[in-house]
Amino acid sequence: MTLLAILAMAALVFFSRYVFLEPKLPLRLAPQIQSMLGYSGPAVLTAILAPIVFAPEDELWVAADNPYLLCAILASVIIYKTGNVLLTTVLSMVIFLILNNLVF
Amino acid sequence: MNTEVQIMPNRHSLFMQGTIAMIPLSVAVIPWGLLAGSYAIESGLSPLESQALSAILFAGSAQLVATGMIKAGVGLTTMLLTTLFITSRHFLYSVSMRDKIGKLPLRWRLALGYLLTDELFAISGNQSEQRFEPWYALGAGLSFYLCWNLATLIGIVAGSYIPALNELGLEFAVAATFIALVIPNIKNSPTLVAVLVALVLSVALNLIQFEGALMIASIGGMLAGYLAETITRRA
Repeated sequence: MTLLAILAMAALVFFSRYVFLEPKLPLRLAPQIQSMLGYSGPAVLTAILAPIVFAPEDELWVAADNPYLLCAILASVIIYKTGNVLLTTVLSMVIFLILNNLVF
Repeated sequence: MNTEVQIMPNRHSLFMQGTIAMIPLSVAVIPWGLLAGSYAIESGLSPLESQALSAILFAGSAQLVATGMIKAGVGLTTMLLTTLFITSRHFLYSVSMRDKIGKLPLRWRLALGYLLTDELFAISGNQSEQRFEPWYALGAGLSFYLCWNLATLIGIVAGSYIPALNELGLEFAVAATFIALVIPNIKNSPTLVAVLVALVLSVALNLIQFEGALMIASIGGMLAGYLAETITRRA
């Protein structure tokens, strides 16, 4: 029974990921919708990352001792200066782990 | 040199590049994989069922909620409606990736569609149609799948012995990677508007614990970007 429920949910999740990738699905997007979708990457990623940075403990935390916020600013500066994604992630993560677990 | 020899290393190197690009997100997901495994066992699922959640369903937030619902013994209809709600953002990823993945052969569409998580969309959603490489996306998606399933397995086997990794703050790796992917894309004012609106909406809706905050904030940001684009074009 549990396995059946898992399969049913898996089918639903797969459907939500696959359905618009199917070329036989007759879908012609209006130009307005297509321009909107052009912003989907930045908008979705920002919507996922913003609560981690500004409310890591489910409360608004805009202060100089919020390591998430400090290191998010640091990451923004590094990527702006270097354009290197891996360097940005690793460097800001190392500094974050030090600040979060050893300093604050 | 014949073309066959040139194609093979290219595929291999694209696959590896995708895997490497995904590393920060693969690492960040480890605590949640451990949690998904140990929570499933705690909730009374068999080891096989617990692993099947990660191996077949393969959807972090939906899995944790599904485990809770199986434990509570709710009906299948409730389970499916809740799953539909949580999984709704994938429709957005699917429609955004249509231009890139829709023209590939069926096996590619099935594979990349199956692997289309938040993380894979983060890595490949920003790429233009010309820059999109199926092997790169496969490397990113498949390595993430393996990492998630290995973490789940460890959570199943050793759940009660694992220290609280979630207190280290590894989720910051998600924020750091996404920042590194978003900032270079802010090349004009409409994109900046989209990002700022999504940011404010997402924080505000999360603070009031609004269900579906992610979807509303994303669509709000996209709409704001589009409106800003129309206004700047007219000016």
